Amino acid sequence: MTAKAREEGTVNFYYWGGSDIINLWVDQVATPALAAEGVRVNPVRITATKDTVDVVIAELAAGRGEEQGSVDLVWVNGENFYSLKQQNALWGAFANRLPNSVNFEWDENDPRSLLNLRDFGVETGFQEMPWSGEQYVCSVNRAHVSAENTPATFAQLKTYLEANPGKFTYVKPPHYLGNTFVQSVLYAHNPDGTGAEPYQKNFEELGGAELARLMEPGIEYLKSIEPLLLGGASGKPRYPENSGELDNLFLNSEVHFNCKFGVFGNHNGLITGAYPEQAEEMIFPAGNMIKNKNYLAVPLNSPHPAAALVAINYFSSAEAQASKLKTAGMPVGLDLWRLSDEESAEIEASAPPHYGVTQQQLDDNIAPDTNASLVDVIEATWLAVIERKEDKPLADIVAQVSGELNN
Amino acid sequence: MIGQTSKLCDLKAISPWQRLLVLAMATFTIAPFAPLIIQSLAFRWAWPNILPTVWWHEQRERSPFPLAWDYVFSPSSRVGEATLNTLGIGIAVTLLCLLICLPAARVLAQRNFRGKNQLEFLIALPLLLPEAAIGIALLMIFIALGLAGTYAGVIVVHLIPTIPYMVRMLTAVYQGHGTEAEDHARVLGANRRQIFFRVTLPMILPGVIAGCLFTFLVSTNLFLLTFFIGQGQIITLPTLLFAKISGGALDATGAGIALIASIPGIILLIFTDRFIRNYPLAE
Repeated sequence: MTAKAREEGTVNFYYWGGSDIINLWVDQVATPALAAEGVRVNPVRITATKDTVDVVIAELAAGRGEEQGSVDLVWVNGENFYSLKQQNALWGAFANRLPNSVNFEWDENDPRSLLNLRDFGVETGFQEMPWSGEQYVCSVNRAHVSAENTPATFAQLKTYLEANPGKFTYVKPPHYLGNTFVQSVLYAHNPDGTGAEPYQKNFEELGGAELARLMEPGIEYLKSIEPLLLGGASGKPRYPENSGELDNLFLNSEVHFNCKFGVFGNHNGLITGAYPEQAEEMIFPAGNMIKNKNYLAVPLNSPHPAAALVAINYFSSAEAQASKLKTAGMPVGLDLWRLSDEESAEIEASAPPHYGVTQQQLDDNIAPDTNASLVDVIEATWLAVIERKEDKPLADIVAQVSGELNN
Repeated sequence: MIGQTSKLCDLKAISPWQRLLVLAMATFTIAPFAPLIIQSLAFRWAWPNILPTVWWHEQRERSPFPLAWDYVFSPSSRVGEATLNTLGIGIAVTLLCLLICLPAARVLAQRNFRGKNQLEFLIALPLLLPEAAIGIALLMIFIALGLAGTYAGVIVVHLIPTIPYMVRMLTAVYQGHGTEAEDHARVLGANRRQIFFRVTLPMILPGVIAGCLFTFLVSTNLFLLTFFIGQGQIITLPTLLFAKISGGALDATGAGIALIASIPGIILLIFTDRFIRNYPLAE
């Protein structure tokens, strides 16, 4: 395969190019390392992964089949992977067959393999390789909030907002950051006290009526905090459209907290100047800090599939992951218990610092992602109840939106 | 010297109200650049501070990676490649567009034929269609033609939104000049080539330059069509800028790239303005 990769020569790597530190890592570390293996990386920096998914699907629709496309490698997860999979636009199953596949847990009897086998509940089918494992972490601006006043639960957040109205908001669903916030609210308000557990089932299995019953207290909470959110006092709560906008609100002290996917988001925000000087991480919501992975996939019509696999194998090495962690602040996608002691020591030594919390505390509060089929229903319910203010029993709304989604 | 004094006299000749309006216009034109320049030199700039609390040069030594302009000028930002692509595509589009539009505009301005009004309307149609609506469909056509992901494809797709502007401008220019001077030249024995290069072109040159300027500016600012047809592999300053600001915030490197993206336009505006003002045939 390496011989074929050399023959192909190039790998067109499409990835979100909005982060200077990730771009620098790709250019200064990954590109020279792969050049040594005979593969030239052509980094294509994109604005939204969905645009690339559209390009692949358009190419296939135009009859550009195997080896005739333009994208070799794409950084994806969640619904973009789901789209590629649904359109049969993915290359074969490879993730458990590369030399560095040993760095991941593939045994489905081991519950720790979940994030390697399922991406937002969708079976990966070994058609994508984990690249990075992220967690939903909130930061707090210590210039305004003391340690005693820092909320750890949603009830405490509400108490804080009653004393300091307007100093919190979350990214608007259907952005995945907003969906994740809503999911963690639902986990914490699960009336049975079983947290994330029922949300692992798919919609068919769970049923609309049961989902509505589970969601009711969480949705009530979201409604109740609306007047306390940024701009909520004047009746127009402001939900930022994306993480950049929320970063700005946080930097400008318009809000005191900033929640996003990023185990090292706080560190990255400090070294790029995007976060206020006194930003620190916080454990919130305790026990419900959602963790997931993102992946590297090869489209069906990749013109250089062997080169893409060589690149993925490199990206899955302990060495590449350690340097990516160190210079780009991206957490590893590998499973540490699969590595040798030296390798895990190298990775531990490469980790950027945490501020105010420890890695152990973050690990102790992990919750799993929600099943992808439920994410759509939850997102549509949020839009109906919070955005459009539909005043109907929740069960009716869930039945209505799930009916619309299935048609 | 003479030019300067006459300009000063002009300024005095206008009324205070007009002077106020000129000042307001200058403010609206120049003001957006001020925060952009400050942002490009900032490390941390938070409300309500009028100036950044930490500047780029203060953080420069401490930063583990190139910040702000250091990043913009590093190979990783790919600004150099994007600038060359933007200029090259812009020039090629302008020349091709001119080649297509000169004869078309002449016919539209000087001849009468059935369906002329309808044709003028049809030519303007691409201006009304949002690029987002046609991007994917065009991509499929371009893939079938083997033009997707190539410079040729990007140049051709840039012709779609630029031709309507150029045709409209050149038609107006031709209409303004009529055909008398050309008729005289023909009577005096000039051939078609001589007429075009010695008579027509010198007359319409200021209009042609203005049309080229607009075409170039439209081409160098197109994002979505460039991204779709270039399949993300042909990077230009707009595609680079969009990748930077997609997060919803303009950081120092984003501001730097935005400033670089505006340089070709500014240089051209100054150049064409001078040219047209000093042109001997200008009215």
